[in-house]
Amino acid sequence: MAERYDAVIIGGGHNGLISAAYLARAGLKTLVLEARYVLGGAATTEEIVPGFRFSAFSYVVSLLRPEIIRELRLPEHGLDILPLDGTIPPLDDDYLWRVNDHGRTMRELRRWSAPDAEAYEEYGQLMVDMARFIKPILGIVPPDPTGRDPREFLPLAGLARAFQQLPERQQAVFIQLMTMSASDFLDQWFETDPLKATMSASGIIGTYLGVKSPGTAYVLLHHYMGEIDGAFRAWGIPKGGTGGVSLAIASAARALGAEIRTEAPVARILTKGDRATGVLLESGEEIAASAVLASTDVRRTFLQLLEPGTLSADFEAQVKRFKFRGSSGKVNLAVDRLPDFTCLPGDGEHLRGAISFSPSVDYMERAYDDAKYGRFSQHPYIDMIIPTLVDPTMAPPGKHVISCFVQYAPYKLDPSLGTWDDQREAFGDAVIDTIAERAPNIRGIIVGRQIHTPLDIERITGLTEGNIFQGELSLEQLFFSRPVPGYARFRTPIRDLWLCGSSTHPGGGIMGANGRLAALELLRSRGRKAA
Amino acid sequence: MSERLDAVVIGAGHNALVTAAYLGKAGLRTLVVERRERIGGAADTTELAPGARVPTLAHTVGRLRPSVMRDLDLKGHGLSLLSPIVRVFAPSPDGSAVTLFGDVAATAEDLRGRSAKDADAYAGFDRQVRALGRFLADLGDETPPDIQSPGFGDALAGLKLGRTYRGLGKLDARTLLRVLPMAVADFVAEAFETDALQAAIAWRGVRYARLGPWSGGSTAVLLVDGAGNEGDAAGETIYARGGPGALAEALAGAARAAGVEIRTGAEVGSVTTIDGRATGVALASGETIEARAVVSGTDARRTLIDLVDPVTVGPSMRWRAGNIRQPGVVAKINLVLSRTPDFPSAGDDPRRLRGRILVAPGIDAIERAFDAAKYGRPSETPIVEATIPSLVDPTLVDGAPDGTQVMSVLAQYAPRELREGDWDHRREGLGDDVMRVLESVAPGITGLVTARQVLTPLDLERDYALSGGHPLHAEPTLDSFFLWRPLFGHARYRLPVEGLYLCGSGAHPGGGITGGPGQNAAREIISDLRKRRLRPASSAG
Repeated sequence: MAERYDAVIIGGGHNGLISAAYLARAGLKTLVLEARYVLGGAATTEEIVPGFRFSAFSYVVSLLRPEIIRELRLPEHGLDILPLDGTIPPLDDDYLWRVNDHGRTMRELRRWSAPDAEAYEEYGQLMVDMARFIKPILGIVPPDPTGRDPREFLPLAGLARAFQQLPERQQAVFIQLMTMSASDFLDQWFETDPLKATMSASGIIGTYLGVKSPGTAYVLLHHYMGEIDGAFRAWGIPKGGTGGVSLAIASAARALGAEIRTEAPVARILTKGDRATGVLLESGEEIAASAVLASTDVRRTFLQLLEPGTLSADFEAQVKRFKFRGSSGKVNLAVDRLPDFTCLPGDGEHLRGAISFSPSVDYMERAYDDAKYGRFSQHPYIDMIIPTLVDPTMAPPGKHVISCFVQYAPYKLDPSLGTWDDQREAFGDAVIDTIAERAPNIRGIIVGRQIHTPLDIERITGLTEGNIFQGELSLEQLFFSRPVPGYARFRTPIRDLWLCGSSTHPGGGIMGANGRLAALELLRSRGRKAA
Repeated sequence: MSERLDAVVIGAGHNALVTAAYLGKAGLRTLVVERRERIGGAADTTELAPGARVPTLAHTVGRLRPSVMRDLDLKGHGLSLLSPIVRVFAPSPDGSAVTLFGDVAATAEDLRGRSAKDADAYAGFDRQVRALGRFLADLGDETPPDIQSPGFGDALAGLKLGRTYRGLGKLDARTLLRVLPMAVADFVAEAFETDALQAAIAWRGVRYARLGPWSGGSTAVLLVDGAGNEGDAAGETIYARGGPGALAEALAGAARAAGVEIRTGAEVGSVTTIDGRATGVALASGETIEARAVVSGTDARRTLIDLVDPVTVGPSMRWRAGNIRQPGVVAKINLVLSRTPDFPSAGDDPRRLRGRILVAPGIDAIERAFDAAKYGRPSETPIVEATIPSLVDPTLVDGAPDGTQVMSVLAQYAPRELREGDWDHRREGLGDDVMRVLESVAPGITGLVTARQVLTPLDLERDYALSGGHPLHAEPTLDSFFLWRPLFGHARYRLPVEGLYLCGSGAHPGGGITGGPGQNAAREIISDLRKRRLRPASSAG
């Protein structure tokens, strides 16, 4: 063995890179090992059709923690997030177009319903308040609820005090967010179906639940927590695709002294007794390290990378119980012209935001019904973005790329359908057909398409069952219980083996809090200052 | 009314009667006013054919709190409970069946023919749900603490709950937090592989709720249901001799013995208030009744929206109360049968028919039945939970021709709000759908029916004043739980109008025949009246 590292990090996704940057910043000799040729994990930019570059998986950014942007000086390393303005669900012969321009949105909402327009303002303010209140939780290392160390509970006590200071109505709304379905929650304010449907959509992202299932209101809030330059709930596209975020973090990590190797897949985490000692690469190379941080998901880490028998049967059973159940797919299209929507023809501003295929709450729920019984949605929820309208560098002049996030596509198909390898094209066709119902020219403008089923997401990125959040973002898998009750503090039953990916608190999305908190927790355990 | 009352109780449902009895025992002058001619609310018995009496709505009473039984000496007032050894018999149309006994070992033994793995897992699962259920039962006994301005008692209650929580032990304590928000389908699948067994247990996680087994939080519903009884995996099946109405009679007997007056046929039109404080009730007849405390046995939404004037409640509270979810999804079908129906899958063991007979052949079968309700349609193949109480309690049919049995059938999902048509026109169709389901496991049963009663959610709302047709007054889900049942900040039985209390199923710890909300509410009301926190009614205004 040639070199010995203070920390070796498995996986060069955004969380792994962030952990590396923080550890290197504290002076640790740090190495990141990425299996693929490209860094970023699920936040990569890849040229799949010649001349067209895609954010292959994850495609928008809003949750990336501002303290990470600041502390790692990411803008100096090329991070540039371009704002995405507006959300429009195209309907049969109408639309409901919300934009950042408050006055325009109000006029549009009033066109649908005056009470809804009024409620929208109140609701928006309330959600901002809620997000402000709950946001500190993103920076809290979850205590073990059965633990007896009062220091673990201190940050939570602060949150409890903050809760007590909220007005009663806000307290009540917060409880509702933690317990209700997105649809029931929104019903309290709004009557306009396409508005509720489109808003409820963020409650199901990455879950295997429908908008009418309790637990989805929380996910709504999770997606409200994003901020860009201090503005709440603004979504943006990273310049150069989401790979741009990863490259900026990688550049920051390197500048801080971290070493990064691509095409270096890890075969095993090496252990001695109850201690991790390093990793074995598929090439046969062994790398020794004082700490191993896995940014891979909890199942891959414990059940595939560790020698069987290293963990207790009980812990293994708990890992097996952690639910993944990828429920979404991704369809990337290279087009030579822009899609033309029947409800709002032309190349207008409406194409520059999110185009949400969510015409009604029932539509969303029916999409879920298909998935419950092992089928991909015949009429899925699609979140369509045309990044080239904001960042033309992604395609040849005049041409465009279209990113379609598609839900539901259950990882486990009904056996009568065969496998995802049999159904990939049919799935892609269902997506194109759904788009064609609103933008009939879509079939004629496609010059290349890439279809990512949950199986493809698993194969390419290593995300178990294709779950984009490294484990369902359902209430039973959050905070105390993420990923395993009693092990929510980034530590594992193996000493010196840490988790730093989205399987840990506070969950998925290009947020980075996991990677940062894990690194800081490791440094604290070693008595090191963070910087 | 000339003499001043301490408390007037709106409604004579079982919780209201429990509260009234406790108030009476505490020496408080208490009057119960009931809109219907009969007392008991959902704890009722109907003579459907000469000499044949059926449980009208609720069919079992096994979750009734033992302390209520004891304190009010319900045995002395004529209540007698009957518990068959079979809790659940779950036949499938394919001829197979799962049976859950009160005895854990017997259940495991019976399961062995189906799956050795499940037979082995049953005792462990039973132990786990009992442990979690016991904690929730302790929670149910408590008045939710005041977390806005906690006093000494609240801190004490908090400490006690903390201790009870720790008392669960590390594993169960962690498990509790993990499983409460889970889908019950996932919860049962962690333990068992047999679909029919999973469904037989998971059913209680969705019963009465607009949830399917794949809905998040349905595990909490299952565990809270268990909290009201022994907490075991099979769930309770305990009958009141003479039907659920006998429970109401015993409660009324206890209340009257404690000096409580009960008036039926007396509908409350409004709660009277002066300066934001409840002063009594005005009956629909025009009569007004003054009391120091007004106690509502009806649901919180109806109480705050329909009975109290809007100015007193205020717009923000009205908005909150108006959003209490009461999506009823249950219908009730009662049958008189000329003889015991044949269930081929019960073999030659008639004991199996003495518990709850559940036709919910799999998790997906329940979920598909639920799917229809999401879109405002009744399930084509509803989930059916039936009992034949006369097999255990022959007094129910002692005036009827020999061999007569009565069958009480709960059918789900039948959403109160239909997208097409109305329940008055779909009532008999629903009855026919239920008969079809019964026929699939008991061929020939239709030919045995001599009388039939179909109660739709609309009937539940109209006849029993159950808003939204919801038998539990509000959803039994986590968004209406403990500190926030019925409304956050008002879970301590005191509604946001001074002197107005809630004692029904819409309050913590929730619905079902438990007497829990009624008992807890009485404790708080007595404490307030004794502390004279309420000014005497005569000095008001």
